[in-house]
Amino acid sequence: MSIDITIAESTDIVKENVNDNVIYFQDVDCRISGKDILRGITLNVRRGEIMGLLGKNGAGKTTLLSLISGLRSHTSGEINVLGEKMPAHTAEFRRKMGFVLQENALYEELTIFENLKFSASLYDVQNSRKRILEVLGILGLSDRRDQVVSTLSGGLKRRTAIARAFLHDPELFIIDEPTLGVDADTRHALWAYLRLLRSKSKTVIVATNYLDEALALCDRVAVLGEGVMLAIAEPRELVRRTGSCIDVECDEQTAKKIASGVQNIQQVARTDITLSGISLFLAKGANPDEALREFTKYGSIEGFCFRAPDLSEVFKSLGR
Amino acid sequence: MNAELSRLRRSRLLIALVLVQSVTFLILVTLFGMTGAYAPTALVNNDNGPLAQVFINSLENDHHSFNLIFMNNETAAREMVAKGDLVAMIVIPQGFSENISEGKTVPITVFIDNINSDLTADIQRAVPSAVMSFGDGLKFEGVNVGVVETDSYAHDTSFINYMVASALVLDALIISGTLSAFSVAEEFESKTAKILAISPVPPLIPLIGRVMATAMVSAGAIAITVFVALVGYGISPAQPFEMVLTLLFCIAIFSCIGAALGAVMKKTLPVALFVLGIALPLFLFSGSYEPQRFDGSLIWGAAHFSPEYYAVGLMEHAVFNLKVTPEPLVLLALALVGWGIGALALAWFFSRRGFL
Repeated sequence: MSIDITIAESTDIVKENVNDNVIYFQDVDCRISGKDILRGITLNVRRGEIMGLLGKNGAGKTTLLSLISGLRSHTSGEINVLGEKMPAHTAEFRRKMGFVLQENALYEELTIFENLKFSASLYDVQNSRKRILEVLGILGLSDRRDQVVSTLSGGLKRRTAIARAFLHDPELFIIDEPTLGVDADTRHALWAYLRLLRSKSKTVIVATNYLDEALALCDRVAVLGEGVMLAIAEPRELVRRTGSCIDVECDEQTAKKIASGVQNIQQVARTDITLSGISLFLAKGANPDEALREFTKYGSIEGFCFRAPDLSEVFKSLGR
Repeated sequence: MNAELSRLRRSRLLIALVLVQSVTFLILVTLFGMTGAYAPTALVNNDNGPLAQVFINSLENDHHSFNLIFMNNETAAREMVAKGDLVAMIVIPQGFSENISEGKTVPITVFIDNINSDLTADIQRAVPSAVMSFGDGLKFEGVNVGVVETDSYAHDTSFINYMVASALVLDALIISGTLSAFSVAEEFESKTAKILAISPVPPLIPLIGRVMATAMVSAGAIAITVFVALVGYGISPAQPFEMVLTLLFCIAIFSCIGAALGAVMKKTLPVALFVLGIALPLFLFSGSYEPQRFDGSLIWGAAHFSPEYYAVGLMEHAVFNLKVTPEPLVLLALALVGWGIGALALAWFFSRRGFL
């Protein structure tokens, strides 16, 4: 298990390149209402990077984003964001940041255009009408600009919230659960948009529950579990560590035979007996075809499929 | 049912508000019954004969509109009525017992603060009623009642009209308070407060903008209500400028109070219910039906903690030239200014605390 090694590596990066980091956390604790929400968080995010914050519900992702944005104050440790020691509340600092909350936090009775117009006035956006139309065009909202927000679908509301955060062209873009409650098309459109931001050297922090989202978007991911940093790595490295997975459909008897039979086979790192059969996680460098041939010896199977591990399986591989 | 009970158990704020509301409505209903009872009335007895005492007993026992205060000095009593400390003064003339014994008609002088005609009518009905009871008790074959009434004001104000002036203050409280409270609470409920909190503009600036917008809507609604009062009720304000100024001031104060409540409670439904729940009891404590001092010194003292007391005092003067509080008008205006500054400070404090 390389959890400690990964964190040590990221800490080294932090020490070496403090000034290049858009976000820099050193041994940060956050206590809310007597409860430790975050403990000993060390993290850095470089300019132009998409950093994913991965964790189950209640892991502390939203609190971490609140510390970055200045909505909350930390209890101990050191935080620097965009060169400012946190908590920072200056107008200049806030102009450099765009935040999409988990809740869209839009004015439901106003139109899309009116919501953006209000935000433009808060951020003193020059030539605001032109800029709003430009952003609406990028996010595919031009035709809907006069539609009242309360009548929009979840996906369109999400796009509007993102448009609002992007309106003032921030250096740092924070987005909490970007594709929460949106359909597949909108999801891909939003991913494409976030990649566009990266291409413009904007720094993006994405908190998500979904490993596939992290795989599709992020340069690196920080995995949070119960308020502590479990790992910081490239998403593919995280998947590689967990191992690719074969879901085998078979009866309970066969699943048990396979589980005991593959115990000493190096190609299989771990097994999970499931309701429909058994899931096998392959070790690094394992050949999936050979592995499949090996465990079919233990009984007849009804079917199988190869897939990437999900977040829950990543957590298991990290010992959580 | 169990699920709903579990949900309610976790909604402590809602439960607390429901309890508060049930109590306030109880008080409200009680207050309806209390209004006008035991109005402080001076009794000046210039006759020490036995029949004068019997007449006093009749006044005390047979009617519940009076709370008789015995005074020796007619001039002092008249001054107290003029100042508004007493509702009326009844004078038993010298030789009352002797004249009654001889079967002569005796004039009873009643000096009334006719600030609203409902109370004047109460006194007008109560004195003859006591006289009838007095005559009946003494087995007189015929009783001649003669009441000589002197009014404080040259004009009478109908009960309905009197209430319309105070109802405008209630409107200002309910409309401005509810709208601004709802508006601010909505910022927290929809999480847009977070967006304001991380914006470069201090969050209070957009918040003040919202409250000003709701105050403008309230002003529009009150303007329509004033129009209805002028046209529908035929009210012609004695001091129009003072009336407009008082109402605008009420809107500003109640908007600030609403904003403070919205920032504290952060939920639209409970805060709207709360404003409605406190509006009527505060209204009844403000001298809305008759001058508050008529309901006894305890309630009158408590009324000073409500901004409506001062607002109603100013409104009754602005609309009908009435002086319903013992305090001078300047003091009422200053008290309202104080409430305005206090409400602004509260709104600022709680909004700031709520945002960060």
